Amino acid sequence: MIGRNQSAVISQRVFPASRHEGRAGAGLKPEHLPAILEQANAVGFFEVHAENYMGAGGPPHAALTRIRNDYPVTLHGICMSIGGPDALDRDHLARFRTLVERYEPALVSEHLAWSTHDNVFFNDLLPLPYTERTLARVADHIDEVQEAIARPLLLENPSTYLQFEQSTMSETDFIREIARRTGCGLLLDVNNVFVSSTNQHGSPMDYLMDFPLDHVGEIHLAGHASREDDEGEILLIDSHDRPVADPVWDLYDIVIRQCGPVPTLIEWDSELPQWPVLKAEADAAQAILDRHADNYLLGARHAVHA
Amino acid sequence: MPSMHEADYAEGFAANLLQAGQGKPDFVVGPNGKGADTRFGVYRNNVSVGLINALTGMFPATRRIVGEEFFRAMARHYIRSHPPTSRLLVEYGRDLAAFISGFEPLAEMKWLADVAAIERAWLDAYHAADAAPLAMESLTAIAEDKLADTRFVPHPAARLVRSHHAAVTIFSANRLEREVGAIDVGTAEDALIARPHLEVSVRTLPTGGAKFLQSLFDGHPLGVAAETALAECPAFDLGANIAGMIEAGAFAGIRQ
Amino acid sequence: MNTKTTATLVAGALAAAVSMAAATMTAHAADQEKCYGVSLAGQNDCAAGAHSCQGQSTMDYDPASFKLVPAGTCLSMKDGKPSLEPMNG
Repeated sequence: MIGRNQSAVISQRVFPASRHEGRAGAGLKPEHLPAILEQANAVGFFEVHAENYMGAGGPPHAALTRIRNDYPVTLHGICMSIGGPDALDRDHLARFRTLVERYEPALVSEHLAWSTHDNVFFNDLLPLPYTERTLARVADHIDEVQEAIARPLLLENPSTYLQFEQSTMSETDFIREIARRTGCGLLLDVNNVFVSSTNQHGSPMDYLMDFPLDHVGEIHLAGHASREDDEGEILLIDSHDRPVADPVWDLYDIVIRQCGPVPTLIEWDSELPQWPVLKAEADAAQAILDRHADNYLLGARHAVHA
Repeated sequence: MPSMHEADYAEGFAANLLQAGQGKPDFVVGPNGKGADTRFGVYRNNVSVGLINALTGMFPATRRIVGEEFFRAMARHYIRSHPPTSRLLVEYGRDLAAFISGFEPLAEMKWLADVAAIERAWLDAYHAADAAPLAMESLTAIAEDKLADTRFVPHPAARLVRSHHAAVTIFSANRLEREVGAIDVGTAEDALIARPHLEVSVRTLPTGGAKFLQSLFDGHPLGVAAETALAECPAFDLGANIAGMIEAGAFAGIRQ
Repeated sequence: MNTKTTATLVAGALAAAVSMAAATMTAHAADQEKCYGVSLAGQNDCAAGAHSCQGQSTMDYDPASFKLVPAGTCLSMKDGKPSLEPMNG
């Protein structure tokens, strides 16, 4: 497991050693800061979006430093545009690296998606066709990121809403080959699995059975919204604006039974609830992690993947 | 299967994401031969709503002044004509003030661009590098005959916005979500935006204050800045302005 | 203005500034006209320009013939000049 290898790395630590393994965490929102600071060990860890801390100074860094003194922090990049045809932006990569060095995150992740093309930033996680050509490009980009930050990256599976005529392989085959070529870990977003599988008329269980679970170093859970497609059938939107849906909790339970207690994040990015509501979601994930922790200690994970 | 050039997928997406209308690249499809118009529309909607929401968050007073519906419609024009080029959203909206100046439906609200400029400067100050503000003791430690030749290092968060209108009063009345009473919009106001510690402050400068500070920000010595301000405004009060600039945290040090 | 006059002016002004700063410290009701009057402090809008990785559940409707008429607090600011009457759409 990625997190395990990292904790073996000896480095000069500014912050206390991370205890994120087997824990559930929450996305850090400045709005929740006062409530969080009133509690001790509110959740297992906090995740931040890297781009929100790429300013030079001010309240964002003051708040994150405060949190980092008490909690493990995981760093989740959004705008690297790893899945795009353009070369990676050197300045952005340098900013990303600076954050990794400054905050010593327990885990570092990015998306299988693109957001910038031809010098226009679209501020969305846009999809790519899965071909030999895009595979080679994405692998090169991940090599470049991992070289810059001198540690493994976790790559997240996307929520998708359409398909490309050009695709020649499945998303799971693509991701498995990326992990094999680059040695990167994977961030399994279980809500994305449910959203994409529903939108692509597939089965989330089939997706999970095809997914290289032994590379998973972190899990994401979030809520989704529902719309209709051209034919009036359900089209799910990865909206992060409500509680995690029941079928996603069920899938998560299956994944943890299989993978052991992988650090798990609750994402909630708009229509923010009061802190106790978000914390309750993280507590629910923690309960599932704890329930399966015994099996993990007994070696279930190794038995499955032996 | 159509042959695809390396960058076609991003090119085809990008060309259709921000434009008005319902176009989609012809190589995207739904599963099992289903249509992809609505499906592509999800991405188009994510881009529009995401960028418009970013602007509504960055320009809350401007939005309140013109109303939510108007602001979002204006923002939709803006994101199409001025899409972001930086991956950092906090860098976006730098030319919104200029856009507002040239936006015909707002032609009569001459002061609105200046309000937007203050909001943009506020965000710059919020994210600027941290630095300890210059203390009065550093000034009083300078020999009297060297004072006029002293130059200052601007604080990284300090910004000036000059307005021929009551931009600061309009900005603060609307930023605070409090009742907006009658404002004489014709009174010229200059703003100093600063963040010596963690809290951004917006101040109204006294007459000549902006000229004085701009001269110092440009690297001129104290004596020259004072003369420049006095030339523009004979009532300029140098003592009050020195006290004000120190209290506001406009500078981070003395240039050696 | 010659150099000597300027030097004298600056030195005198600094002495005044020190006493003004001291007055501000003791009594916070400093002369807001003369000093740099604080119009707004704090009110940190921490979410401004924040990134997140979610899809949007709200729809952006793009009406083809939207009449752009500002309709916010601008209507209550019409005492000054210029006139802020709403545009006739």
